[in-house]
Amino acid sequence: MTAVVPSASEVEEGGSRYDRLIQPARVHGTLYTDPSIFAEELRKIWHRTWVFVGHESEVPQVNDYVRKQLADQDVVMTRDKEGEVHLLINRCAHRGLQVCDDKSGNSSSFRCPYHGWTYRNTGELLGYPYNKGYGGKKQLPLGMGKVARVASYQGFVFGSLAEEGPSLEEHLGAAKGEIDRLVGLAPAGKVSLDAGWLRHKTRSNWKFLAENETDGYHPQFVHGSIFGVTGSPIGELYSDNSTAVTRSLGDGHSENDLRPEFRGFAEPMRWFGTTPDRVPNYVAAMKEAHGEDADRLMIEGAPHVMIFPNLFIAEIQVFNIQPVGVGECVQYSTAVQFDGGHELNMRMVSQSIGSVGPAGMLLADDTEMYERNQRGVAMADPEWLDVRRGLHRESVDENGFTIGTATDETGMRGFWNHYKTLMTAPDEGQDD
Amino acid sequence: MDAQPAEGPRHEIVIEDGDDDVTIAQGKVVESEFASMAVRLDTEGNSVRLRIEDLRTGRVRHLDALELESIVWLGDGHLTQLLDPSHDRWRG
Repeated sequence: MTAVVPSASEVEEGGSRYDRLIQPARVHGTLYTDPSIFAEELRKIWHRTWVFVGHESEVPQVNDYVRKQLADQDVVMTRDKEGEVHLLINRCAHRGLQVCDDKSGNSSSFRCPYHGWTYRNTGELLGYPYNKGYGGKKQLPLGMGKVARVASYQGFVFGSLAEEGPSLEEHLGAAKGEIDRLVGLAPAGKVSLDAGWLRHKTRSNWKFLAENETDGYHPQFVHGSIFGVTGSPIGELYSDNSTAVTRSLGDGHSENDLRPEFRGFAEPMRWFGTTPDRVPNYVAAMKEAHGEDADRLMIEGAPHVMIFPNLFIAEIQVFNIQPVGVGECVQYSTAVQFDGGHELNMRMVSQSIGSVGPAGMLLADDTEMYERNQRGVAMADPEWLDVRRGLHRESVDENGFTIGTATDETGMRGFWNHYKTLMTAPDEGQDD
Repeated sequence: MDAQPAEGPRHEIVIEDGDDDVTIAQGKVVESEFASMAVRLDTEGNSVRLRIEDLRTGRVRHLDALELESIVWLGDGHLTQLLDPSHDRWRG
């Protein structure tokens, strides 16, 4: 690009590079295309903040493991014999080899195929062949790398590569309530993400996805085909006539809150596009679990929330967004499964396949936009992306959160505010 | 799909060659990316034993009921010691 990208020296002279690139009503195109910015994002966001990695239900049994990504890090999520979940860096302490190769398995220990160094599934070095070469057994203070902090909320497992920082609950903040809403729809009070993950390689910067997930302006255009084919009433909720709101939940999290519309209809299961008589066992299980509150839960439905930087809960399915490079990321998606909700779970899998599966009609449309977006921002002029929609009509709700209408870019602005906070934080431990 | 379901035990591995089928491993297979073991009950003795075979080397061991019970009651620390590569196989 020929754009006016502040140089490193300008940054030092004129304050934050990101103050220039991120403004209240516009953001600069180089944020999506500059490799040096992506490298800085890895250090200041992906290697520092809490990142969604997986779900405890993916390792249900003692000694189960699955390989996951945490940005550029290949991570092994394990459950040890005590039931504790660990996130190990998939690298042998001897010669740096990738230790686990299978996508999943069950093993109390991992043996590197290169020289046989063997680790417990907690990462502890258990032994190595021909130990006299090291002066005997247990002589080496080594082990597999570990994600510094691991925590879970309602079974959603997050990792932070930083030794210190806000707790997971502090990071999630108001977004915890949205996860709780999802779990509230499970009659047995738990959700599982064990239906298998689809992996979509996407030639786009990860931020286009994070911004789009609560962009209520695009569905009527991008998703017209699936709304038309399925006769879904959801599309109409994203218009200027809708009472739904876009809410910035703070810390970069945002949601499209469709509850005002669903409350108006007051029809249980409308959020799912069905009626109670078609899922009688699920409705009965919800009433048994929640009593009089069941109707409210089934009227209001599941959340549509983007949790910074990479967890998107889209009512019936979950997306795990992981960056690969400045112009590439992977979207992992899976159907939500409600414990105790078998009747609905079957439908969620088929609906999820219909929307984000290989021949699905939702994710493919979005991804076409992401990739065209990436190609578009590589052009020289205009340099900026506009994020002002609804700025003049934002308000603050009863809980102090900024809200806009269903089609306003309130979520994006919240994202960029938090992004700027993280990117302008000191670059600890770096020598640049 | 990213997470593959465990395949679980498989039937014995037989190379079919007309009337001269060759059995190269007997029993069902307990397998991970780290090891591959065929297991089956052996009734050749006067009481039943567990026959286990390391499919990567062909090494076979029979375990009687008392030995199996001992394994069940083996302390975790002892079992972990057995997993140390230099404990027996690669002692040097």
